[in-house]
Amino acid sequence: MEQPFSLTSEVRDNCLIITTTGYVNNVGGEAIAAEFTRHFEKGTKQVVINLGQSKVVNSVGMSFLIEIIEQLQEADGKLVFTDLDAAVEKMLSIMGLFQYAGKEKTVADALVSLAGAGKAGR
Amino acid sequence: MSRRAETGTLAGQSGTPIEALQEAFRVLSGAGSLKDQSARFRSVVGDYFRGDEVRLLRRTAGEWESMGGGPEGTAGALPAPAAGAVGASALEGGSVRIVQRLADGSDVGVVLLRGGTGSPYTESDLITLRLFLTVFENAYREMIARRNEKDLIFSLNHRVLQLNSLIDTGIEVSKIAGSAPPHHLALERAASLTNASKGVLRVTRGGRTEEEGWFPHGGAPEGGAPGSGGISTAFDFGGETYTFQLFDKESRSGIIPFDETDQLLLDALSKQVHASLENLYLHQEALEKQKIEQDIAVAASIQQRILPKSLPIIEGYDIAGVNIPSKSVGGDYYDCIPLPDGRFALVIADVAGKGVPAALLVSSFHAYLTAYLEADLPLVELAKRLNRVMSRASTEDKFITGFFALLTPSSGELETLSAGHNPVFLRRTDGTLQELLLGGIPLGMIDMDFPYQSETVTIAKGERLLLYTDGIPEATDGRQRLYEEDFPLKDYVSGHVPARAETFIHELIADVKKFTGSAPQNDDITAVYLLKH
Repeated sequence: MEQPFSLTSEVRDNCLIITTTGYVNNVGGEAIAAEFTRHFEKGTKQVVINLGQSKVVNSVGMSFLIEIIEQLQEADGKLVFTDLDAAVEKMLSIMGLFQYAGKEKTVADALVSLAGAGKAGR
Repeated sequence: MSRRAETGTLAGQSGTPIEALQEAFRVLSGAGSLKDQSARFRSVVGDYFRGDEVRLLRRTAGEWESMGGGPEGTAGALPAPAAGAVGASALEGGSVRIVQRLADGSDVGVVLLRGGTGSPYTESDLITLRLFLTVFENAYREMIARRNEKDLIFSLNHRVLQLNSLIDTGIEVSKIAGSAPPHHLALERAASLTNASKGVLRVTRGGRTEEEGWFPHGGAPEGGAPGSGGISTAFDFGGETYTFQLFDKESRSGIIPFDETDQLLLDALSKQVHASLENLYLHQEALEKQKIEQDIAVAASIQQRILPKSLPIIEGYDIAGVNIPSKSVGGDYYDCIPLPDGRFALVIADVAGKGVPAALLVSSFHAYLTAYLEADLPLVELAKRLNRVMSRASTEDKFITGFFALLTPSSGELETLSAGHNPVFLRRTDGTLQELLLGGIPLGMIDMDFPYQSETVTIAKGERLLLYTDGIPEATDGRQRLYEEDFPLKDYVSGHVPARAETFIHELIADVKKFTGSAPQNDDITAVYLLKH
């Protein structure tokens, strides 16, 4: 069974990496959004969310993820999801999140992708 | 001084309020929230009126709340709209105050204040500010429409997600070798699709909980399940009751009641689990059946090797035999074994029971019989020993009836012993039948030193011997009548004297089959027929 929610974060190459464990619901979504906002207000515009240990996401949790994507869009930032369980990937896809956010297999892949996008944007 | 004062008119000139209003709409429309829109409004209007102070307030119910630019006390000077009016305004020398009703039913108030050195506001300034406020209202209406559209798309996507997930979950829980138990997966999916913050699955048998799993793991609240507001569903399978319960439906505004769709989803997922468990049970049953059939096939193969492919040629005699098992593996046995001294051992046996256990006992019987015959044991001693070893090899309800005969072909001497078997018929040349019955108890029934006896008869030319198992006299037709009742075997043996043993066997079996018709064969059919030329 899915674990209760928890997250860790780090900033690498000016990119915020949030790694979650457990059910991404209202509590989980709020925690992710709060962590994002804390760094976003300091100017971080590139974000990776590793959902490898989160096999279940509900729509309330997803609404927080959508808000993060919208805020990053307005600020010309980018969000990339990584380590997605097949069921979670399908959920995010159906909810339209990949229209405005990326997905990569691993955090390392996401950092390479974001670095490439940053160079292209310059 | 205001731009109005510079231009003197509202339209038709470069830098007119028209352009400013268009730009204001563009700026305000880009706002993502009312707070953001208010800040942008104050900035745009402040710029237009050359740095005049702009205060914005909003009233949804009751008191005014500041949305920037001044303390909440500012509201005290706002004009109150007349009954039924959507707005009100007030113009004083150093201030313009307007109240406007927004699309969501709330009121927004704007106060424009000019410092002491500026020229007083005019009617034109009031009109311009009202136009800006109308732009604000239009931009807000558009923002709400966008938000509603986004909510609608989100809601539609969520419905698609629910349907999709229902299908996917159905496929996943029906996988025979899935990674997670189907009921655990279903609970996870049900919680996720209904936005439940937690859920529990209980498997109970006779009121006792056999299994309890919470989602998320460790989600059980102290003191048991949450009290109210949950939904549940249950089904019975295999003497156990599977109950799913979900608690605390989440929303961005807090816990809300579950709706009808949530209950439908939970019911649907529960039904999928029920079907999956039934399929799993049937699959396991089929596998077990397949395994048993394989075992039976192996046992049948072994038994076929035990039974003779053909009987030996005995000079001056004609012999034939048949074995038709009622199942793929039977419990009957027969053979005619040449002995080193020129005699032949005729044996027929019937294990109580059928199937693999019976076949296993027949296999043991065959092994011991062969060994004892090779040891040239007297028939009585052979029976004693077989009784002893079969007692040890078989369970209480398994025993073997058998008939043993040692034939000296040259003299026609036949020593016989019946271990609880059906009487063997010796048809004399005059048509009379002699029943060979002497012997003792069935083999393996009781491991005690019960005595066995043998008898010796002589077969003359033209005389015949029939050994058989009870599958022949007890063969039944569709109405459960016994063959023996309509066609006593004695009469058949007495009345049928074909020239060849093979013919006798063939015709006897045909007669039995004709009697039983399409009724299933309940017991093995075995017979050996010996004819002296």
